[in-house]
Amino acid sequence: MTRHPAHDEASDLLNREALFLDRSEWDAWLALYCEDAVFWMPAWRDEITPTEDPDRELSLIYYQGRRNLEDRVWRIRSGFSTASTPRPRTVHLVTNVLTHEADEGCCAVTASFCTHLYDRRGERTHAFFGRYEYRLRREAEDLRIARKKILLLNDTIPAVVDIYSI
Amino acid sequence: MPAVEECVTRLSDLVDDRPQDGVFRVSRAIFDDPEIFELEMRHIFEGGWVFLGLAAQIADKGDFFTTTIGRVPVLITRDTDGELHGLVNSCPHKGARVAQRLHGNAKLHVCPYHNWSFDSAGRNRAVKAARAGCYAPAFDQDSHDLPRLPAFASYRGFLFGSLTADVPTLPEFLGEAAKLLDMVVDQSEDGVELVPGGVNFAFNANWKLQLENCSDAYHFTATHPSYIRILERRKTAPDKTTARSVWENSQAWSEAAQGVQGGSYSFDHGHVLNWGLIGVSDALPLHESADALAARHGEAKRDWMFNMRNLTIFPNLQIAENASSQLRIIRPVAADRTEMQTWCIAPRGESATARRQRIRQYEDFFNPSGMATPDDTICYENCQRGFASRVEPWLQGYARGMTATRAGGNLFSDSGEFQPARSVLADSQLCDETLYHSYYREWARRMARSLAP
Repeated sequence: MTRHPAHDEASDLLNREALFLDRSEWDAWLALYCEDAVFWMPAWRDEITPTEDPDRELSLIYYQGRRNLEDRVWRIRSGFSTASTPRPRTVHLVTNVLTHEADEGCCAVTASFCTHLYDRRGERTHAFFGRYEYRLRREAEDLRIARKKILLLNDTIPAVVDIYSI
Repeated sequence: MPAVEECVTRLSDLVDDRPQDGVFRVSRAIFDDPEIFELEMRHIFEGGWVFLGLAAQIADKGDFFTTTIGRVPVLITRDTDGELHGLVNSCPHKGARVAQRLHGNAKLHVCPYHNWSFDSAGRNRAVKAARAGCYAPAFDQDSHDLPRLPAFASYRGFLFGSLTADVPTLPEFLGEAAKLLDMVVDQSEDGVELVPGGVNFAFNANWKLQLENCSDAYHFTATHPSYIRILERRKTAPDKTTARSVWENSQAWSEAAQGVQGGSYSFDHGHVLNWGLIGVSDALPLHESADALAARHGEAKRDWMFNMRNLTIFPNLQIAENASSQLRIIRPVAADRTEMQTWCIAPRGESATARRQRIRQYEDFFNPSGMATPDDTICYENCQRGFASRVEPWLQGYARGMTATRAGGNLFSDSGEFQPARSVLADSQLCDETLYHSYYREWARRMARSLAP
């Protein structure tokens, strides 16, 4: 499969998103997303099969529209959520980035991730890991995220999984 | 007092139940003492009925799912004749788990260790190389089948099992609380099902924190202000991409609300319900069936199906119908560790639009990746830390509603046609805590098998 002409730009975008999440740079993070972006983390039907149809099957997260991500950011910033305050420290490792041409001029990206999380309050260290699938669309000058699917492989959740942990 | 007796825990040191004095207190020890956890395993989870799953999970012949009763692995099957079976999932030969998948379909279950095999009813079909095995006749006199659960029964598709036969019948155990399961099942003529996709999460806290939280009206505005304010944000700046909520027009949690907004009911054997008035709201996916349900069950029962209802069937089943509809199984792992298995439970045959709405509302509120449940579980973990203290061992969280609780039912239970043992009618701020007494009276009754009074 041929690498997308914008491979380096796409790869940078993934790394930038990871950094924004790890640094709580929420406005910069939201700006990476198209207004109609789909943000999807499936659940699992059994040991090996993730759910595939968000309208008939449960997902861990399924949002159509950046507005929903803005709500999540609002909650994290608000101080009204004890689960989010103080937020755990995280570092995202994003790797195995492959790009190729997709329909409607989009850039399709697959990647692997591991987010190491340290929750000082809960005295808990955890690593969430899985795979990403992106659709990136050019809006004005920049590539933006039109769709992000997060396949979380270790889905027994230690109390909380939030947008910064995946 | 002789020193030796100071080491022996007495039930009255754990639950202080003196209604005549207006006192009900629970000791922190019941949440963090490993010896008490061991007794709970023996007398509550492995010594009585526990919920296993829905018959709808094994709809076809040969279907099975695996779960646990206490620490014991169990296998629930529908055999090739369509009969349901509750089996101990442990090979009689060496004890290995025979079925290892969460669920599936199999005519034959073959133990992967030495290939003893069992049919879908748990009957032994083959002992590998039996004839060459030089077995004594005594071996042939033993059953080589998977052991049957000493008690196993279904109430309208809700499957329960017990590792002891010394239990009341399932209808006796459920009692009047069975009518609250009816309110779940009767939302469709075809019953209920689990939406595909289970969500599991774990927390470092005792299982009874989850037991209580489901029944806890007092925490909602304190623990979930971020969720409540997001609902307000969505209302002031509507957007078709966000999920609607049953609470967007409800007064049930508003501190400004006047009059009866809900309350609690307690039943024998530790089952409880807390509830809030919602009414026939179009924010609920059930709205499409409102007229049909009234025609089939009458308006009063239809209205009950729309009310917020958090039901616990002691000790491990919770069905929460509030922001959406959730079925939870509580699985205690250690005194300070609990695993939750959760699903979206839904009426069969609802429209695609209603199903989508139900799923979105569920993810929003109930998931550990959502905007409410994580705030609960982090509070459980904070409680667990605090339970270490014995400076003042008694907790004060069982006292609200003490002068409001009444024996028997009230107008609302009459309209739902069920008879609770006790009831509380509440405005939005009463937030009854006496419903927990039902949990701990059943808990104490079971634990009395090992603990002195």
